[in-house]
Amino acid sequence: MATEVLHQTDQGEAERRAAFFAHIAAGGKVEATDWMPDDYRRQVLKFVEMHANSELMGVLPEREWILRAPTLKRKLALTAKVQDEVGHAQLLYRVAEDLGKSREEMWRDLLAGKTKFHNVFHYPTETWGDVGIIAWLIDAAAIVAQQALRGSSYGPYARTMQKICWEESVHIMHGRDIVLTLVNGTPKQRAMVQDALDRWWAPIMQMHGFRTPPEKDKDLAWRIKAKSNEELRQEFLAIYVPRILEIGLTIPDPELRYDEEAKRWRYTEPDWDELTRVVTGHGPKSAERLQFRQIHYADTAWVRDVILGEGPGALAAD
Amino acid sequence: MGEGAVTATIPTATLAGPEDLDGATRAALAELLLALADDEFVLGFWDSEWTGIGPALEEDVAYSSIAQDEIGHARALYELLAALTGRKADDLAYDRGPEGFRQARLLGLDRGDWAQSIARRYLYDTADATRLAALAGSSYAPLAGLLGKVRREEAYHLLHFDGWIRRLNDDDRGRARLTAALDALWPAALDLFTPLAGEDLLVRAGILPRPFAALRGEWLAALAPIFAELDLPLPARRGDDGAYTPTVAPLTGGRDGNHDPAFRRLHDEMTMVYREEPGANW
Amino acid sequence: MQVYEIFKQEREGEAMKHAGNLRAPDDALALHYAKEFYSRRGESIRLWVVPRATIAEITDPDLLKPPLDRSYRVPAGYKINEKLDEARRRVRAAAEARAGARREAAGTVTGDR
Repeated sequence: MATEVLHQTDQGEAERRAAFFAHIAAGGKVEATDWMPDDYRRQVLKFVEMHANSELMGVLPEREWILRAPTLKRKLALTAKVQDEVGHAQLLYRVAEDLGKSREEMWRDLLAGKTKFHNVFHYPTETWGDVGIIAWLIDAAAIVAQQALRGSSYGPYARTMQKICWEESVHIMHGRDIVLTLVNGTPKQRAMVQDALDRWWAPIMQMHGFRTPPEKDKDLAWRIKAKSNEELRQEFLAIYVPRILEIGLTIPDPELRYDEEAKRWRYTEPDWDELTRVVTGHGPKSAERLQFRQIHYADTAWVRDVILGEGPGALAAD
Repeated sequence: MGEGAVTATIPTATLAGPEDLDGATRAALAELLLALADDEFVLGFWDSEWTGIGPALEEDVAYSSIAQDEIGHARALYELLAALTGRKADDLAYDRGPEGFRQARLLGLDRGDWAQSIARRYLYDTADATRLAALAGSSYAPLAGLLGKVRREEAYHLLHFDGWIRRLNDDDRGRARLTAALDALWPAALDLFTPLAGEDLLVRAGILPRPFAALRGEWLAALAPIFAELDLPLPARRGDDGAYTPTVAPLTGGRDGNHDPAFRRLHDEMTMVYREEPGANW
Repeated sequence: MQVYEIFKQEREGEAMKHAGNLRAPDDALALHYAKEFYSRRGESIRLWVVPRATIAEITDPDLLKPPLDRSYRVPAGYKINEKLDEARRRVRAAAEARAGARREAAGTVTGDR
């Protein structure tokens, strides 16, 4: 019964659409080769493309520290983590490619600033403390969202999220281990990780996005994602605020508290203007990171062109 | 029994650990382990620079695994060395000045473009395969045991880079870049076989089954048919005795701590966090 | 560049399971990349690497779930409980009848004595 509605080709367009969205609403899944309305396809593509872009750009802030990791184990773990992010970008671009947009076109749009990536990857990484905070808390915030995406109506995306979540759980352990080592370390190390948390807290609070009313969120209505932005933020706070506080770190938000009556976390209103500015490419590192990508993409264009048979290097030709 | 026959008759793996070695042999073994470990360590560092910026996402992931493998091999070798000297593997890796590093000149150069990275990998992996094949028969059991495992991992690296050499060579532009890179790298690559201080002690004890000069000949002999097949110039000639010797002057000094300025920059970067709070837990 | 679909076996005896897909310029690199993407953490003991173009797909429900009755092909197509009850009743009744007959015969013998 599950996929029958997707194949009834003798229906009129309107009935077919209605049957499709009824199938989605009932918890049904869609596969890459199934019929789907164009607007659903576009919406999934846009969502997955931004996710893929974020994995790709998310590589850069941490990559800078691969050469600087201070022990052999950290060096190995950080390289493996960044490698995972590259792998996730590949898995997600594959999902997006099968929806009809080529990887080269997606890269071109990303580098031209036409498509977006997550706010947190527009900020600088200043110290080794940042490496710990990113791997622990940014990845934790991401995994909360990604776990919910395992319930996505788009089957290939949901399955990819299962694999990604499994790998991300290692990152959180790696990050938490770094943070714990620093808080148990010298005063300078403790200060380093507290300073990192102070700088990253605001972007983390913005990371799940605006408090869009669920009824106005098309991604939610079509079950491309399964939880609203605010639900995800609340879930993250519920798990991680106690874990941050128990190890002696301070969260830089005097308003942050759990409201027993309302059964939700209260916090200082995030700077939504900053979020808008940052994700539209006006963050502190937006231009530099895109330019960095552009330079390296152009540097290796000849390899793709000659060896990988991709035709003229997409960017080099621009 | 003559001196020359010794190497062939030493039974493999008769030295169970450091306690079976005299002081001079121990010191020579430490030099060998440091050279092997630093080769892998520094190459792993340069290669890890490709993580996140490889020519395609799939290759990026594959190349990163190989970089991690090298760091892992270095870690295991530093641990063998730690058993000999009492210094911890992490301190060996991070608590040395650039002149304390013993990698061959080839590994002190920066990664260059993709063709240079591939060319270096190919020269290194083939040389390392020759070295590992010999050392797998080492009389020092901990080394023979470890390198047996390392060799199984390195076989895949070689397969990967053999494929890449062929892909590059099959295309005019790729071939031009590849041959330029090989030309530039040959002298420094020969440093992989520069004799080590105390090498004769190691050979006598069967720890190093054959001297590096002999291994260099084996390496060039193994490359000769492949380079002929690919129509790539091999800067070596075969003597009347059948042995291959290089026709370019080697760039030596790596085993004495002389390196390209690029390595100083790398060293600065790789010890940056460690130096912030030396001796701390990280 | 082409797309390859990857199938993995995670433990001995298990079925091959679809793992995902990847892009590669040739079969040799497809094998290398499959190992990287689907057993980087040692999670597979066997991989199948298949060019997507060689996979044929059937999704037409008229073929896969034909509209007319095929219940004779599945266990649920057989409603045996009533028949089983009837059979059991019949066997019980026959057994009781036989026992009755034996008692009667025994009574006759006794009576003869």
